[in-house]
Amino acid sequence: MSETAIPALPPRRLSWPAFLRRKARPESLHGIKSSGFAGQVLPLVLLAPQLVILLMFFFIPAIRGLAQAFLLQDPFGQEVHFVGLENITALLRSAEYWESLRLSVNFTLATTALTFGVGLLLAFATDRVARGRTAYRAVLLLPYAIAPAIAGFVWAFLFNPIVGPAAALLHALGIAWDPNRSGDDALLLVILTASWKHLCYDYIFLVAALGSVPRSVIEAAAVDGARPLRRFFWIVLPMIAPTVFFLLVMNTVYGLFETFAIIDATTRGGPAAATNILVYKVYVDGFVNLDLGSSAAQSVLLMIFAISLTVIQFRLIERRISYDVSQ
Amino acid sequence: MIERASWLDAACHAILVVAALLTCLPLYYALVAGSLTTAEVQQVPLPFLPGGAFVENARAVWTRIGLGRLLLNSVIVALGIAVGKLAISLLSAFAITYFRFRFRGTVFWLIFLSLMLPVEVRIVPTFEAMTDVLMPLRLLVQLSGVDSLVQAMTGWRLEVSANWSLLNSYSGLIFPLMASATATFLFRQFFLTIPDELCDAARIDGASPMRFFWTILLPMSRPNLAALGIIFFLFGWNQYLWPLLFTTEPTMTTVVVGIKQLVPHGDSIPAWNLTMNAALLAMLPPIVVVLLLQRWFVKGLIESGK
Amino acid sequence: MSMAVSRRAILAGSAGALPLLRARPASAAPREIRFWHAMSGVNGERLEEMTRQFNAAQSDFAVTPIFKGTYDELINATVAAYRTRTQPQLVQIYERGFMTMLLSGAVVPVQELMAAQRHNINWADFIKPIAGYYTHKGELAAMPFNSSTPILFFNKAHFAKAGLEKPAETWQALEQQLRQVKAAGGPGSIMADDYHWSWFENYSAINDYQYATKNNGFGGLDTEFTYNRTPVVQQVGRMKRWMDDGLLQTAGQGVAAAAVFTSGRSATFIASTATHAAVMAAANLEWDAVPLPYEEGRTPRNSVIGGAVLWALRGHADADNAGTASFLAFVAKPETQVWWHKATGYVPATNAAYALAQSQGWYRERPTQEIAVKQLTRGEPTANSLGYRFGNFTQTMFAQREEAERAFGGQKPPQQAMDDAVSRGNEILRRFERLNAGRY
Repeated sequence: MSETAIPALPPRRLSWPAFLRRKARPESLHGIKSSGFAGQVLPLVLLAPQLVILLMFFFIPAIRGLAQAFLLQDPFGQEVHFVGLENITALLRSAEYWESLRLSVNFTLATTALTFGVGLLLAFATDRVARGRTAYRAVLLLPYAIAPAIAGFVWAFLFNPIVGPAAALLHALGIAWDPNRSGDDALLLVILTASWKHLCYDYIFLVAALGSVPRSVIEAAAVDGARPLRRFFWIVLPMIAPTVFFLLVMNTVYGLFETFAIIDATTRGGPAAATNILVYKVYVDGFVNLDLGSSAAQSVLLMIFAISLTVIQFRLIERRISYDVSQ
Repeated sequence: MIERASWLDAACHAILVVAALLTCLPLYYALVAGSLTTAEVQQVPLPFLPGGAFVENARAVWTRIGLGRLLLNSVIVALGIAVGKLAISLLSAFAITYFRFRFRGTVFWLIFLSLMLPVEVRIVPTFEAMTDVLMPLRLLVQLSGVDSLVQAMTGWRLEVSANWSLLNSYSGLIFPLMASATATFLFRQFFLTIPDELCDAARIDGASPMRFFWTILLPMSRPNLAALGIIFFLFGWNQYLWPLLFTTEPTMTTVVVGIKQLVPHGDSIPAWNLTMNAALLAMLPPIVVVLLLQRWFVKGLIESGK
Repeated sequence: MSMAVSRRAILAGSAGALPLLRARPASAAPREIRFWHAMSGVNGERLEEMTRQFNAAQSDFAVTPIFKGTYDELINATVAAYRTRTQPQLVQIYERGFMTMLLSGAVVPVQELMAAQRHNINWADFIKPIAGYYTHKGELAAMPFNSSTPILFFNKAHFAKAGLEKPAETWQALEQQLRQVKAAGGPGSIMADDYHWSWFENYSAINDYQYATKNNGFGGLDTEFTYNRTPVVQQVGRMKRWMDDGLLQTAGQGVAAAAVFTSGRSATFIASTATHAAVMAAANLEWDAVPLPYEEGRTPRNSVIGGAVLWALRGHADADNAGTASFLAFVAKPETQVWWHKATGYVPATNAAYALAQSQGWYRERPTQEIAVKQLTRGEPTANSLGYRFGNFTQTMFAQREEAERAFGGQKPPQQAMDDAVSRGNEILRRFERLNAGRY
C-alpha cells in the first residue's frame, strides 16, 4: 500500500459526511472479504464450538422457554394448558403494554445517543492527548468493574431526593427533583444511570478503533491543512464507521435487553410504572410474579421487535459503510 | 508531524478530568461508606470524608463470606468466560468473513439471535440443560432413530445413559455464558476493514488459512482483543444470576453472590459499610486485568507491513 | 457393532473428562440437610448461628444454610432445582408465595412430615394470625420461621417539640398531630417500601374491612377483590393528601426508609417490628413505638403477618426427611423461638415462646418488642383479619401499587385507581383459578 491509501480530503462544503455518502463495495455489503479462502468444511469446523454451545445453552432452552408463550403453566410444571395466542393477544389489548413499549423506545434512543455521544467525546479526547492516556483509560474504565447491584444503589443514593448529594445540588438550583413521585424525573434518572454504566463499553471500543487508524492518514491530512476537529469528522470517523455501526447495534441491544438490573436498583419500574420498560416488565412478570406464559409472550414480541430493528439497522446503515480503509 | 493545537489539548484534558471525576464519584461514595462503622454509616447525609474502619470492615467481610475462596472462583470463571468467548468468536468471525460457504448468512444471524432474548425466559430450561448436558444428544438419538437402527443391525443397544451434570462445577458456570454474538460481530466488523492485500499476499505465499489467521489476523486484532477482553472479564466477573442459580455449594459461588449476601435484608441492621467494603475489595482483580491489558492498546497496528 | 462401541467410548470419554473441573463436597459423617434461605446481612448471620446451634446439639444431621439471593431469586432457584431433581430439603419462601408452594405438588405439608417422623408439636399453641396464614384444611402447611407485623415507630424529640407525648390511636387524630409536628418545624413521616402491606392490607385487617370475597380468599380460588368499595379508597386519598402537604414521603431507592427514620429525619415510621434491629443500632435517636392507628369509631382487631416460612420439599429419602423434621422441631422449640425473637426482632410463633420471653423479663427490658405480639393476639381474628390467601399474590400486589402510585401522582382519582387495581387484580386471580381449578 502506498500513498494512494490516504483518502483525499473532501472539499470544504459538503452536505454529508463521507461514511453516509459513499456507496460501499458490494462485497462488504454482504459482510465478506472479496479476498478470502476456499473451502466448505473448514469454516464449519471453525464455527462448531460457538454453534454447539449456542445450541445446547441457548437455542434448546430458548425454544423450550418461548413455547411457554402459548401455554398457561404453573411454575413447578405440573399443570399445562395450551392457550394458543391468548397470552399474546392479552398483551396487545393491554394499555400498560403499549405504554411500556413507548417507554422502551424513548429509553433506548436516549441511552444510545447519550452513551455514544459522550463515549465518542471521551475517546476522541483520549486519543488526542499525548500524556496520561493510559491513566485516563484506566480510570474511565473503573465504573465498569463495580458490581451492577452496587453501582445502581450508589447512583440511586446520589440522586435520592431525601439524602442524595446530587439531588441536594439540584434542589439548591431550584429544580424540584423527585424521582419518587415524578415519572419524568425517574425516567431521566434511569437514562442517566444506564448511560453511565454503558459509557465504558462504547468508550473502550472507540478507543481501540481510534488506535487502529493509520497515523500516516492523519499526518497526510494534517499536511493538507485540515484542522483537528475537521479531520476527525471527515477522515477518522468514516474510517472507524464499522465500529460505530457495531456500537449503534450493541447500544440498542443494551437498552432493550440488559437494563433490568439498573432499573431494579434505581426505580423498580416506578413510580406508577413510569420506568417500566419492556425488559423490566419481562423480568417482573416472569421472575418475580412467576407468570411464565405472559413473560414468554412478552419475550416473543420483544424479540420480534428487536430483530426487526436490527435488520433495519443493517439494511439502512451498514450498506453505507465502507469497510475498505484503502479506498 | 501532526501540529499541536494547545487549546484543544487543554480542552481534552479538561473533559477527561471532569469525566474521570464524575464516573468515579459513585466509587468514592462506596469508599466512604466502606470505611465507616455500622453506626456511622446510618447517618444521613453520609459524611464527605472516609472514616477509619476500612481495614476492620475488610477483615470482617473476609471472614464472614470466605472472600478468599470466592475471589478465586470469580477469577477462574471470569477468565474462563473471557478467554472462551474470545477464542470461539475469533474463529467464528474468521469463518464468516473469509470463507464463502453455504448458510454463511444464516449462521451469522443465528449467532446474532442469541442477544435478543431476555434471560428470565430461559432460566429454568437452561438450568435443565446444565444439569443434563447430554439431553440434546439423547433427544437426537431418539428422534433420528439411530438407536433402533443400531439395535436392529447389531443387537447392541445404543444408550446415552451417562449422567453428566455441570451443577457446582466451573464448567457449569463458564460454558452456558461462553457463546458471544458481541465478539463475533465486533471481529467481523474489524476483519472487514483489514486490507485485502494482506490475504492476497498470504495466499500467494502459499499460507494456509489457519497460518494466515495466526500470523496476521490475530496480532492485528490486539487492540480489539484487549477491549473485548476487559469487557468480557468484567462481564464474567459481575455475573450474578447464573452463579446464584447454577451453584448449590457455598464454596462454588462467586464474589458478587457473596456481596449480595452482605446487602442488608429489608428488616435487619443496614450494615451497608460491609457491603460497600466488599464491593471495593471485589474490584481489585478486575482493576489488575484492566491495567494489564492496557499494554495491548498500541496504536497503528494496521500499518504494519506497509 | 464397532460403531456402537466407539460411540459409547466417546460418550464415556467426554463424561469422564469434565469432572476434572468439578469440586466434590467432602462426605461427612452426619447426614447433610440443605437449607436454602434468603436472609442477607446481619439476619443471615443469625440464621447461620441458629443452624450451628442445631448442629452442635445433635450429631445425626448437619444443616447447611445456603444463601440463594432475594425471596424472588430463591423461589426461582427452587423451581429450577425441583424440575431437575436437585432440590434441597428445606426452603424459606415468603408469605406471598404461599399458594404457589401449597399447590405446587412439590412440598410435604409440615404437619404431615412431623407426624410421619413422630415429632410431637403442639400445633394449637401457634399464635393465631401466624398459624392461620399458613393453615390449609386444618393443618399447618409450612413451619413459621420469620414472622413480623408492622407497628408505628416515632421520633420522641419531634413529637415533644410540638408539645406531644406520643402518636394518637386513630388516623384522624394522628393526622392532626403530624400537622402540629410539621408546624413546629419538624419533618414529615417516611413510608416503608412495602407500604401496601401496612397501609392497605394491615389497615383492612385492623379495621375489619373486607379485602376480597370468600374470606379474603381462604374460602376458594374464585375470590374477588373488593377493597375498591371499602375505606381503602379513602386511605389512598389520605396518603396522597399527606404527600402533597409534606406529611409523608417515600424513600425510594438508594436509601432505606429505616435510615431516614433512624437519622432523625422523619416524625413517624410505620414498619415491620423487625426494624427494631436497625432502630436500636442507631446512635442519638430518641424513639418509641406504638401499635398501628385505626379509623375513628372502629374497634381495632389483630394485624396480619408478613415474612416467610420453611417448606419441606418432596423427593428425599426418609432418612433426610427425619433430619428435616428434626431441624423443624428445633425451630419450633420455645427456646429457639425466643433466641430468634431476641436476635432478629421477629415475633415468636407460639404462645409458649411468648410466655417464655415474658418470664425472662425480656419485655421489661424491651417493651416495644411486645407491641407486635400484643397487636397480633388482640381479640379473636375475624374473616377479615385472619390473613390473605390469593394466588399470584405478588402480581396482584404490583398492580395495586402501580395504580395507587397513579393516585399519589395525581394521574387518577383514588376511586378510579382502586377500581382499576381491583379489575386488574381480579383478572390475575382468574388466571390462577383457571390453572389450579379443583386443586385447592
